[in-house]
Amino acid sequence: MTEPLLAIRGLETAYGAVQVLFGVELDVHPGEIVAVIGPNGAGKSTVIKTVIGLARSSKGSIRFAGEEISRMAPHRIPALGIGYVPQGRIVFARMTVEDNLEMGAFLIGERARRRRAVDAVFAQFPRLHERRAQLAGSLSGGEQQMLAIGRALMLDPRLVILDEPSLGLSPKYVDLIFEQLVDLKRQGRTLLMVEQNAARALELADRGYALELGRNRYSDSGAALLANPEVRRMYLGGAGRA
Amino acid sequence: MQELLDPVVLGQLLIGGLLAGALYALLACGLNLVFGVMRIINIAHADLMLVGAFAAWVLFATLGLNPVVALALVVPAAFLFGYGLQAVLIERVVGRPLLASLLATYGVSILLVNLGLLIFGSDYKSVPVWQGSFVVGEFVIPKPRAAAGAVAVALALGVYFFLERTRLGKAMRAVSEHPHVATICGIDTRRIRMIAFGLAAAMAAAAGAMLSMIYSFSPLTSADFIQKCFAIIIIGGMGNFLGALYGGLLLGVVEAYVGGVLTTQWAEAVAYLLLVLVLLVRPTGLRGAADVR
Repeated sequence: MTEPLLAIRGLETAYGAVQVLFGVELDVHPGEIVAVIGPNGAGKSTVIKTVIGLARSSKGSIRFAGEEISRMAPHRIPALGIGYVPQGRIVFARMTVEDNLEMGAFLIGERARRRRAVDAVFAQFPRLHERRAQLAGSLSGGEQQMLAIGRALMLDPRLVILDEPSLGLSPKYVDLIFEQLVDLKRQGRTLLMVEQNAARALELADRGYALELGRNRYSDSGAALLANPEVRRMYLGGAGRA
Repeated sequence: MQELLDPVVLGQLLIGGLLAGALYALLACGLNLVFGVMRIINIAHADLMLVGAFAAWVLFATLGLNPVVALALVVPAAFLFGYGLQAVLIERVVGRPLLASLLATYGVSILLVNLGLLIFGSDYKSVPVWQGSFVVGEFVIPKPRAAAGAVAVALALGVYFFLERTRLGKAMRAVSEHPHVATICGIDTRRIRMIAFGLAAAMAAAAGAMLSMIYSFSPLTSADFIQKCFAIIIIGGMGNFLGALYGGLLLGVVEAYVGGVLTTQWAEAVAYLLLVLVLLVRPTGLRGAADVR
Protein backbone atom coordinates (compact mmCIF):
# COMPACT_ATOMS: atom_id res chain seq x y z
CA MET A 1 0.00 0.00 0.00
CA THR A 2 1.05 3.58 -0.60
CA GLU A 3 2.43 5.82 2.11
CA PRO A 4 -0.46 7.22 4.18
CA LEU A 5 -1.37 10.83 3.44
CA LEU A 6 -2.40 11.26 7.06
CA ALA A 7 -0.91 9.12 9.81
CA ILE A 8 -2.02 9.53 13.42
CA ARG A 9 -0.08 7.65 16.08
CA GLY A 10 -0.69 7.37 19.82
CA LEU A 11 -2.73 10.57 19.87
CA GLU A 12 -3.71 11.93 23.29
CA THR A 13 -5.72 15.13 23.66
CA ALA A 14 -7.25 16.75 26.70
CA TYR A 15 -9.50 19.76 27.22
CA GLY A 16 -8.11 21.24 30.39
CA ALA A 17 -8.08 18.46 32.97
CA VAL A 18 -10.43 16.23 30.98
CA GLN A 19 -8.56 13.80 28.76
CA VAL A 20 -10.58 12.77 25.72
CA LEU A 21 -8.20 10.78 23.51
CA PHE A 22 -6.05 7.96 24.85
CA GLY A 23 -3.71 6.91 22.07
CA VAL A 24 -5.78 6.98 18.88
CA GLU A 25 -4.25 5.50 15.72
CA LEU A 26 -5.59 6.33 12.28
CA ASP A 27 -4.38 6.30 8.67
CA VAL A 28 -5.83 7.90 5.58
CA HIS A 29 -4.33 6.88 2.24
CA PRO A 30 -4.59 8.98 -0.93
CA GLY A 31 -7.92 8.50 -2.69
CA GLU A 32 -9.54 6.82 0.29
CA ILE A 33 -12.71 7.66 2.15
CA VAL A 34 -12.30 6.99 5.83
CA ALA A 35 -15.17 7.20 8.33
CA VAL A 36 -14.75 7.58 12.07
CA ILE A 37 -17.77 6.37 14.02
CA GLY A 38 -18.58 6.07 17.67
CA PRO A 39 -21.10 7.15 20.27
CA ASN A 40 -21.18 10.66 21.74
CA GLY A 41 -18.12 11.26 23.86
CA ALA A 42 -16.03 8.71 21.98
CA GLY A 43 -13.73 11.52 20.87
CA LYS A 44 -14.53 11.44 17.14
CA SER A 45 -14.67 15.19 16.69
CA THR A 46 -11.70 15.70 18.96
CA VAL A 47 -9.55 13.57 16.65
CA ILE A 48 -10.17 15.88 13.73
CA LYS A 49 -10.08 19.06 15.79
CA THR A 50 -6.61 17.96 16.86
CA VAL A 51 -5.58 17.31 13.25
CA ILE A 52 -6.59 20.80 12.16
CA GLY A 53 -5.04 22.41 15.20
CA LEU A 54 -8.17 23.66 16.99
CA ALA A 55 -7.34 21.28 19.84
CA ARG A 56 -3.81 20.49 21.04
CA SER A 57 -2.45 17.01 21.59
CA SER A 58 -0.43 16.22 24.68
CA LYS A 59 1.17 13.12 23.20
CA GLY A 60 1.52 11.28 19.93
CA SER A 61 2.12 12.38 16.39
CA ILE A 62 0.11 13.61 13.42
CA ARG A 63 1.95 13.38 10.12
CA PHE A 64 0.50 14.81 6.93
CA ALA A 65 2.34 13.95 3.71
CA GLY A 66 5.30 12.98 5.86
CA GLU A 67 5.40 16.23 7.82
CA GLU A 68 4.72 16.46 11.56
CA ILE A 69 1.86 18.96 11.97
CA SER A 70 0.72 18.52 15.58
CA ARG A 71 2.58 21.63 16.77
CA MET A 72 1.80 23.80 13.79
CA ALA A 73 -0.17 27.08 14.13
CA PRO A 74 -3.73 26.24 13.06
CA HIS A 75 -3.91 28.92 10.36
CA ARG A 76 -0.97 27.22 8.60
CA ILE A 77 -2.81 23.90 8.24
CA PRO A 78 -5.00 24.83 5.20
CA ALA A 79 -1.95 25.76 3.14
CA LEU A 80 -0.67 22.17 3.52
CA GLY A 81 -3.70 20.93 1.61
CA ILE A 82 -6.26 20.13 4.31
CA GLY A 83 -9.81 21.42 3.88
CA TYR A 84 -12.22 21.32 6.82
CA VAL A 85 -16.00 21.31 6.99
CA PRO A 86 -16.92 22.25 10.57
CA GLN A 87 -19.63 20.62 12.60
CA GLY A 88 -22.98 22.40 12.51
CA ARG A 89 -22.45 23.69 8.93
CA ILE A 90 -20.94 26.93 10.18
CA VAL A 91 -20.91 29.60 7.50
CA PHE A 92 -20.26 33.32 7.77
CA ALA A 93 -23.96 34.17 8.03
CA ARG A 94 -23.58 37.91 7.56
CA MET A 95 -21.51 37.55 4.40
CA THR A 96 -22.71 36.64 0.93
CA VAL A 97 -22.38 33.13 -0.47
CA GLU A 98 -19.69 34.38 -2.82
CA ASP A 99 -17.73 36.08 -0.02
CA ASN A 100 -17.91 32.88 2.03
CA LEU A 101 -16.25 31.02 -0.80
CA GLU A 102 -13.73 33.80 -1.21
CA MET A 103 -12.78 33.32 2.45
CA GLY A 104 -12.10 29.68 1.66
CA ALA A 105 -9.64 30.97 -0.93
CA PHE A 106 -8.17 33.59 1.42
CA LEU A 107 -4.68 32.16 0.99
CA ILE A 108 -4.76 32.84 -2.74
CA GLY A 109 -3.39 36.36 -2.91
CA GLU A 110 -4.02 36.94 -6.58
CA ARG A 111 -7.52 38.19 -7.32
CA ALA A 112 -7.89 36.49 -10.72
CA ARG A 113 -6.86 33.09 -9.34
CA ARG A 114 -9.25 33.51 -6.43
CA ARG A 115 -11.98 34.27 -8.92
CA ARG A 116 -11.22 31.08 -10.85
CA ALA A 117 -11.35 29.01 -7.67
CA VAL A 118 -14.77 30.49 -6.80
CA ASP A 119 -16.02 29.77 -10.33
CA ALA A 120 -14.83 26.17 -10.11
CA VAL A 121 -16.89 25.59 -6.97
CA PHE A 122 -19.89 27.36 -8.52
CA ALA A 123 -19.62 24.95 -11.45
CA GLN A 124 -19.77 22.05 -9.03
CA PHE A 125 -22.63 23.50 -6.96
CA PRO A 126 -24.99 25.35 -9.34
CA ARG A 127 -27.35 26.01 -6.44
CA LEU A 128 -24.68 28.11 -4.73
CA HIS A 129 -24.17 30.04 -7.95
CA GLU A 130 -27.87 30.87 -8.05
CA ARG A 131 -27.64 32.24 -4.56
CA ARG A 132 -24.22 33.83 -4.80
CA ALA A 133 -25.32 37.36 -3.78
CA GLN A 134 -27.51 36.18 -0.88
CA LEU A 135 -26.38 36.36 2.72
CA ALA A 136 -25.29 32.90 3.81
CA GLY A 137 -27.49 33.22 6.89
CA SER A 138 -30.57 33.20 4.66
CA LEU A 139 -29.79 29.78 3.12
CA SER A 140 -31.49 26.57 4.20
CA GLY A 141 -29.55 24.14 6.36
CA GLY A 142 -28.69 21.89 3.44
CA GLU A 143 -27.52 24.80 1.33
CA GLN A 144 -25.36 26.04 4.17
CA GLN A 145 -23.75 22.61 4.42
CA MET A 146 -23.17 22.72 0.67
CA LEU A 147 -21.53 26.11 1.11
CA ALA A 148 -19.37 24.85 3.94
CA ILE A 149 -18.23 21.96 1.72
CA GLY A 150 -17.60 24.32 -1.19
CA ARG A 151 -15.57 26.59 1.05
CA ALA A 152 -13.42 23.65 2.13
CA LEU A 153 -12.75 22.78 -1.53
CA MET A 154 -11.56 26.25 -2.51
CA LEU A 155 -7.86 25.51 -2.20
CA ASP A 156 -8.23 22.16 -4.00
CA PRO A 157 -7.09 20.30 -0.86
CA ARG A 158 -5.43 16.87 -0.86
CA LEU A 159 -7.53 15.86 2.14
CA VAL A 160 -11.02 17.04 3.07
CA ILE A 161 -12.07 16.55 6.68
CA LEU A 162 -15.78 16.62 7.48
CA ASP A 163 -17.13 16.89 11.02
CA GLU A 164 -20.65 15.41 11.21
CA PRO A 165 -21.76 16.54 7.75
CA SER A 166 -25.34 15.26 8.12
CA LEU A 167 -25.94 16.28 11.74
CA GLY A 168 -29.17 18.21 12.25
CA LEU A 169 -30.22 18.13 8.59
CA SER A 170 -33.64 17.07 7.40
CA PRO A 171 -33.73 13.59 5.76
CA LYS A 172 -34.02 15.15 2.31
CA TYR A 173 -30.84 17.14 2.83
CA VAL A 174 -29.04 14.20 4.42
CA ASP A 175 -29.57 12.37 1.13
CA LEU A 176 -28.37 15.40 -0.80
CA ILE A 177 -25.22 15.78 1.26
CA PHE A 178 -24.38 12.06 0.95
CA GLU A 179 -24.89 12.34 -2.82
CA GLN A 180 -22.36 15.14 -2.79
CA LEU A 181 -19.92 13.05 -0.81
CA VAL A 182 -20.35 10.29 -3.41
CA ASP A 183 -19.53 12.90 -6.05
CA LEU A 184 -16.41 13.90 -4.19
CA LYS A 185 -15.42 10.24 -4.00
CA ARG A 186 -15.95 9.90 -7.74
CA GLN A 187 -13.68 12.87 -8.32
CA GLY A 188 -10.99 10.93 -6.52
CA ARG A 189 -10.88 13.16 -3.46
CA THR A 190 -9.52 11.89 -0.18
CA LEU A 191 -12.02 12.26 2.65
CA LEU A 192 -11.88 11.78 6.38
CA MET A 193 -15.30 12.06 7.96
CA VAL A 194 -16.74 11.85 11.41
CA GLU A 195 -20.39 10.89 11.28
CA GLN A 196 -23.05 9.94 13.79
CA ASN A 197 -25.03 8.35 10.99
CA ALA A 198 -22.66 5.37 11.16
CA ALA A 199 -24.51 3.11 8.73
CA ARG A 200 -24.54 5.59 5.88
CA ALA A 201 -20.97 6.66 6.57
CA LEU A 202 -19.74 3.05 6.45
CA GLU A 203 -21.68 2.36 3.24
CA LEU A 204 -19.79 5.18 1.62
CA ALA A 205 -16.39 4.65 3.23
CA ASP A 206 -13.54 2.44 2.04
CA ARG A 207 -12.45 1.98 5.62
CA GLY A 208 -13.81 2.84 9.02
CA TYR A 209 -12.61 3.28 12.57
CA ALA A 210 -14.92 2.73 15.50
CA LEU A 211 -13.85 4.63 18.59
CA GLU A 212 -14.87 4.03 22.15
CA LEU A 213 -14.00 6.35 25.03
CA GLY A 214 -11.08 7.87 23.18
CA ARG A 215 -9.51 4.60 22.03
CA ASN A 216 -9.59 2.56 18.83
CA ARG A 217 -12.11 -0.25 19.16
CA TYR A 218 -12.53 -1.65 15.65
CA SER A 219 -10.92 -0.79 12.36
CA ASP A 220 -11.71 -2.52 9.09
CA SER A 221 -13.14 -1.94 5.65
CA GLY A 222 -16.46 -0.12 5.64
CA ALA A 223 -18.28 -3.21 4.41
CA ALA A 224 -16.67 -5.48 7.00
CA LEU A 225 -17.57 -3.13 9.84
CA LEU A 226 -21.14 -2.96 8.56
CA ALA A 227 -21.28 -6.75 8.56
CA ASN A 228 -19.71 -7.13 11.99
CA PRO A 229 -22.49 -8.04 14.48
CA GLU A 230 -20.60 -6.49 17.41
CA VAL A 231 -20.24 -3.22 15.52
CA ARG A 232 -23.88 -3.34 14.50
CA ARG A 233 -24.95 -3.87 18.07
CA MET A 234 -22.71 -1.19 19.58
CA TYR A 235 -22.61 1.49 16.91
CA LEU A 236 -25.56 1.00 14.61
CA GLY A 237 -28.29 0.74 17.21
CA GLY A 238 -29.17 -2.96 17.30
CA ALA A 239 -30.24 -4.26 13.93
CA GLY A 240 -28.91 -1.15 12.27
CA ARG A 241 -30.17 0.46 9.17
CA ALA A 242 -30.94 -1.75 6.22
CA MET B 1 -40.14 79.26 19.76
CA GLN B 2 -41.62 80.32 16.45
CA GLU B 3 -38.22 80.94 14.81
CA LEU B 4 -37.26 77.33 15.54
CA LEU B 5 -39.73 76.17 12.92
CA ASP B 6 -38.07 78.41 10.38
CA PRO B 7 -36.65 76.09 7.71
CA VAL B 8 -33.39 78.02 7.63
CA VAL B 9 -32.86 77.53 11.36
CA LEU B 10 -33.85 73.89 11.13
CA GLY B 11 -31.54 73.37 8.18
CA GLN B 12 -28.71 75.14 9.95
CA LEU B 13 -29.12 72.91 13.01
CA LEU B 14 -29.28 69.85 10.78
CA ILE B 15 -26.04 70.75 9.03
CA GLY B 16 -24.29 71.52 12.30
CA GLY B 17 -25.62 68.29 13.81
CA LEU B 18 -24.54 66.13 10.90
CA LEU B 19 -21.03 67.61 10.90
CA ALA B 20 -20.62 67.04 14.64
CA GLY B 21 -22.26 63.65 14.30
CA ALA B 22 -19.76 62.63 11.64
CA LEU B 23 -16.97 62.94 14.21
CA TYR B 24 -18.95 60.89 16.74
CA ALA B 25 -19.54 58.35 14.00
CA LEU B 26 -15.87 58.05 13.08
CA LEU B 27 -14.98 57.61 16.74
CA ALA B 28 -17.75 55.11 17.46
CA CYS B 29 -17.03 53.04 14.34
CA GLY B 30 -13.54 52.31 15.67
CA LEU B 31 -14.88 51.29 19.06
CA ASN B 32 -17.44 49.02 17.40
CA LEU B 33 -14.84 47.50 15.07
CA VAL B 34 -12.74 46.39 18.02
CA PHE B 35 -15.79 45.06 19.82
CA GLY B 36 -16.95 43.23 16.71
CA VAL B 37 -13.63 41.59 15.92
CA MET B 38 -12.47 40.61 19.40
CA ARG B 39 -15.40 41.19 21.81
CA ILE B 40 -13.39 43.71 23.77
CA ILE B 41 -14.75 47.04 24.98
CA ASN B 42 -11.91 49.50 24.72
CA ILE B 43 -12.35 52.03 27.52
CA ALA B 44 -9.24 53.86 26.27
CA HIS B 45 -10.77 54.50 22.84
CA ALA B 46 -11.54 58.20 23.45
CA ASP B 47 -8.08 58.63 24.98
CA LEU B 48 -6.65 57.47 21.68
CA MET B 49 -8.75 60.21 20.13
CA LEU B 50 -7.08 62.77 22.41
CA VAL B 51 -3.66 61.39 21.50
CA GLY B 52 -4.62 62.38 17.96
CA ALA B 53 -5.85 65.79 19.11
CA PHE B 54 -2.63 66.52 20.99
CA ALA B 55 -0.51 65.22 18.13
CA ALA B 56 -2.32 67.64 15.82
CA TRP B 57 -1.81 70.45 18.36
CA VAL B 58 1.94 69.72 18.63
CA LEU B 59 2.33 69.53 14.85
CA PHE B 60 0.49 72.82 14.52
CA ALA B 61 2.44 74.55 17.30
CA THR B 62 5.85 73.37 16.09
CA LEU B 63 5.58 72.98 12.33
CA GLY B 64 2.47 75.04 11.67
CA LEU B 65 0.77 72.04 10.06
CA ASN B 66 -2.96 72.23 9.45
CA PRO B 67 -4.60 69.23 11.20
CA VAL B 68 -6.02 67.99 7.91
CA VAL B 69 -2.50 67.87 6.50
CA ALA B 70 -1.21 66.43 9.77
CA LEU B 71 -3.51 63.41 9.23
CA ALA B 72 -0.87 62.10 6.85
CA LEU B 73 1.42 61.67 9.88
CA VAL B 74 -1.10 61.14 12.67
CA VAL B 75 -3.10 58.36 11.02
CA PRO B 76 -0.20 56.00 10.17
CA ALA B 77 1.45 56.67 13.53
CA ALA B 78 -1.77 55.90 15.39
CA PHE B 79 -2.25 52.73 13.33
CA LEU B 80 1.21 51.51 14.33
CA PHE B 81 0.57 52.47 17.96
CA GLY B 82 -2.71 50.52 18.00
CA TYR B 83 -1.15 47.57 16.20
CA GLY B 84 1.66 47.47 18.77
CA LEU B 85 -0.69 47.93 21.73
CA GLN B 86 -2.71 44.95 20.53
CA ALA B 87 0.44 42.85 20.13
CA VAL B 88 1.93 43.57 23.56
CA LEU B 89 -1.16 44.05 25.73
CA ILE B 90 -4.64 43.51 24.32
CA GLU B 91 -3.80 40.08 22.85
CA ARG B 92 -3.34 38.86 26.41
CA VAL B 93 -6.97 39.53 27.29
CA VAL B 94 -8.62 38.32 24.06
CA GLY B 95 -11.05 35.51 24.79
CA ARG B 96 -10.83 36.16 28.54
CA PRO B 97 -13.80 37.24 30.65
CA LEU B 98 -14.97 40.77 29.82
CA LEU B 99 -13.63 42.08 33.14
CA ALA B 100 -10.04 41.31 32.10
CA SER B 101 -10.25 43.47 29.00
CA LEU B 102 -12.18 46.21 30.78
CA LEU B 103 -9.44 46.42 33.42
CA ALA B 104 -6.64 46.28 30.86
CA THR B 105 -8.08 49.03 28.68
CA TYR B 106 -9.05 51.07 31.75
CA GLY B 107 -5.39 50.86 32.72
CA VAL B 108 -4.38 52.14 29.29
CA SER B 109 -6.88 54.97 29.70
CA ILE B 110 -5.48 56.03 33.09
CA LEU B 111 -1.96 55.88 31.70
CA LEU B 112 -2.79 58.00 28.65
CA VAL B 113 -4.79 60.60 30.60
CA ASN B 114 -2.05 61.05 33.16
CA LEU B 115 0.72 61.13 30.57
CA GLY B 116 -1.32 63.84 28.88
CA LEU B 117 -1.68 65.81 32.11
CA LEU B 118 2.03 65.40 32.80
CA ILE B 119 3.11 66.62 29.38
CA PHE B 120 0.42 69.15 28.48
CA GLY B 121 -1.17 70.08 31.80
CA SER B 122 -4.91 70.45 32.25
CA ASP B 123 -5.33 73.75 30.37
CA TYR B 124 -7.59 73.65 27.38
CA LYS B 125 -5.92 73.69 23.97
CA SER B 126 -7.26 74.33 20.52
CA VAL B 127 -5.90 74.60 17.01
CA PRO B 128 -7.11 77.81 15.40
CA VAL B 129 -7.04 77.21 11.67
CA TRP B 130 -9.35 78.22 8.86
CA GLN B 131 -11.19 81.12 10.36
CA GLY B 132 -14.38 82.07 8.62
CA SER B 133 -17.27 80.20 7.10
CA PHE B 134 -18.63 78.91 3.86
CA VAL B 135 -21.93 80.50 2.98
CA VAL B 136 -24.18 78.22 0.98
CA GLY B 137 -27.45 79.98 0.17
CA GLU B 138 -28.84 80.95 3.56
CA PHE B 139 -26.72 78.47 5.47
CA VAL B 140 -23.47 79.34 7.22
CA ILE B 141 -20.95 76.55 7.76
CA PRO B 142 -17.76 77.32 9.69
CA LYS B 143 -14.81 76.12 7.60
CA PRO B 144 -13.15 73.95 10.29
CA ARG B 145 -16.45 72.18 10.97
CA ALA B 146 -17.01 71.54 7.32
CA ALA B 147 -13.49 70.15 6.91
CA ALA B 148 -13.73 68.00 10.03
CA GLY B 149 -17.12 66.62 9.02
CA ALA B 150 -16.03 65.88 5.47
CA VAL B 151 -12.84 64.13 6.58
CA ALA B 152 -14.74 62.09 9.17
CA VAL B 153 -17.35 60.92 6.67
CA ALA B 154 -14.68 60.10 4.08
CA LEU B 155 -12.61 58.07 6.55
CA ALA B 156 -15.59 56.18 8.01
CA LEU B 157 -16.86 55.31 4.53
CA GLY B 158 -13.33 54.37 3.48
CA VAL B 159 -13.06 51.87 6.32
CA TYR B 160 -16.56 50.63 5.54
CA PHE B 161 -15.60 49.89 1.95
CA PHE B 162 -12.40 48.28 3.14
CA LEU B 163 -14.50 45.91 5.27
CA GLU B 164 -17.05 45.24 2.52
CA ARG B 165 -14.89 44.97 -0.55
CA THR B 166 -11.32 43.94 0.17
CA ARG B 167 -9.96 40.49 0.92
CA LEU B 168 -8.42 41.65 4.19
CA GLY B 169 -11.57 43.53 5.20
CA LYS B 170 -13.75 40.51 4.52
CA ALA B 171 -11.34 38.39 6.52
CA MET B 172 -11.84 40.83 9.40
CA ARG B 173 -15.60 40.31 9.20
CA ALA B 174 -15.08 36.57 8.99
CA VAL B 175 -12.98 36.67 12.17
CA SER B 176 -15.67 38.71 13.92
CA GLU B 177 -18.31 36.08 13.06
CA HIS B 178 -16.42 32.83 13.61
CA PRO B 179 -12.75 33.09 14.59
CA HIS B 180 -12.25 29.31 14.50
CA VAL B 181 -13.73 28.91 11.05
CA ALA B 182 -11.70 31.89 9.84
CA THR B 183 -8.60 30.13 11.16
CA ILE B 184 -9.34 27.00 9.17
CA CYS B 185 -9.62 29.21 6.08
CA GLY B 186 -5.97 30.06 6.71
CA ILE B 187 -6.63 33.47 8.24
CA ASP B 188 -4.17 34.46 10.96
CA THR B 189 -6.69 35.78 13.50
CA ARG B 190 -4.00 37.36 15.67
CA ARG B 191 -2.74 39.45 12.78
CA ILE B 192 -6.32 40.43 11.89
CA ARG B 193 -6.91 41.59 15.46
CA MET B 194 -3.74 43.68 15.40
CA ILE B 195 -4.82 45.32 12.13
CA ALA B 196 -8.32 45.91 13.53
CA PHE B 197 -7.00 47.59 16.65
CA GLY B 198 -4.56 49.61 14.54
CA LEU B 199 -7.43 50.76 12.32
CA ALA B 200 -9.56 51.65 15.33
CA ALA B 201 -6.72 53.67 16.85
CA ALA B 202 -6.14 55.41 13.52
CA MET B 203 -9.84 56.30 13.25
CA ALA B 204 -9.89 57.60 16.83
CA ALA B 205 -6.75 59.67 16.31
CA ALA B 206 -8.10 61.08 13.05
CA ALA B 207 -11.29 62.06 14.87
CA GLY B 208 -9.10 63.71 17.50
CA ALA B 209 -7.08 65.67 14.97
CA MET B 210 -10.32 66.94 13.44
CA LEU B 211 -11.74 67.67 16.86
CA SER B 212 -8.73 69.87 17.63
CA MET B 213 -9.93 72.37 15.03
CA ILE B 214 -13.42 72.79 16.45
CA TYR B 215 -13.32 72.13 20.19
CA SER B 216 -11.12 73.13 23.10
CA PHE B 217 -9.73 70.02 24.71
CA SER B 218 -7.66 68.81 27.63
CA PRO B 219 -6.55 65.28 28.51
CA LEU B 220 -9.72 64.98 30.59
CA THR B 221 -12.02 65.68 27.64
CA SER B 222 -12.00 61.97 26.78
CA ALA B 223 -14.48 61.14 29.55
CA ASP B 224 -17.43 62.86 27.84
CA PHE B 225 -16.61 61.25 24.55
CA ILE B 226 -16.19 57.69 25.71
CA GLN B 227 -19.56 57.81 27.46
CA LYS B 228 -21.26 59.14 24.34
CA CYS B 229 -19.42 56.56 22.30
CA PHE B 230 -20.83 53.74 24.43
CA ALA B 231 -24.28 55.24 24.02
CA ILE B 232 -23.79 55.41 20.24
CA ILE B 233 -22.71 51.81 19.77
CA ILE B 234 -25.59 50.58 21.90
CA ILE B 235 -28.00 52.82 19.97
CA GLY B 236 -26.58 51.65 16.64
CA GLY B 237 -26.07 48.00 17.53
CA MET B 238 -23.06 46.47 19.27
CA GLY B 239 -20.41 45.31 16.80
CA ASN B 240 -22.25 46.74 13.81
CA PHE B 241 -20.08 49.17 11.85
CA LEU B 242 -22.88 50.92 9.97
CA GLY B 243 -24.92 51.05 13.16
CA ALA B 244 -22.18 53.13 14.78
CA LEU B 245 -22.15 55.39 11.74
CA TYR B 246 -25.90 55.99 11.87
CA GLY B 247 -25.88 56.22 15.67
CA GLY B 248 -23.17 58.88 15.59
CA LEU B 249 -24.95 60.99 13.00
CA LEU B 250 -28.23 60.62 14.85
CA LEU B 251 -26.71 61.73 18.13
CA GLY B 252 -25.07 64.73 16.45
CA VAL B 253 -28.36 65.88 14.95
CA VAL B 254 -30.43 65.29 18.10
CA GLU B 255 -27.85 67.13 20.20
CA ALA B 256 -27.93 70.05 17.78
CA TYR B 257 -31.72 70.31 17.88
CA VAL B 258 -31.92 69.92 21.64
CA GLY B 259 -29.14 72.48 22.03
CA GLY B 260 -31.02 74.81 19.73
CA VAL B 261 -34.44 74.40 21.33
CA LEU B 262 -33.43 74.03 24.97
CA THR B 263 -29.90 74.57 26.23
CA THR B 264 -26.52 72.96 25.58
CA GLN B 265 -26.73 71.37 29.04
CA TRP B 266 -29.76 69.43 27.85
CA ALA B 267 -27.89 68.52 24.70
CA GLU B 268 -25.20 66.89 26.85
CA ALA B 269 -27.79 64.67 28.48
CA VAL B 270 -29.72 63.72 25.38
CA ALA B 271 -27.38 60.86 24.44
CA TYR B 272 -28.51 58.91 27.48
CA LEU B 273 -32.15 59.74 26.91
CA LEU B 274 -31.78 58.39 23.39
CA LEU B 275 -30.00 55.35 24.78
CA VAL B 276 -32.84 54.57 27.18
CA LEU B 277 -35.38 55.07 24.40
CA VAL B 278 -33.61 52.68 22.06
CA LEU B 279 -33.17 50.09 24.78
CA LEU B 280 -36.89 50.26 25.51
CA VAL B 281 -38.05 50.07 21.91
CA ARG B 282 -35.33 48.06 20.21
CA PRO B 283 -32.84 46.52 22.65
CA THR B 284 -30.56 45.20 19.90
CA GLY B 285 -29.92 48.70 18.54
CA LEU B 286 -30.99 50.32 15.30
CA ARG B 287 -29.06 47.90 13.14
CA GLY B 288 -30.20 45.01 15.32
CA ALA B 289 -27.16 42.87 15.96
CA ALA B 290 -29.19 40.12 17.57
CA ASP B 291 -27.00 37.57 15.84
CA VAL B 292 -23.80 38.85 17.41
CA ARG B 293 -22.36 35.99 19.39
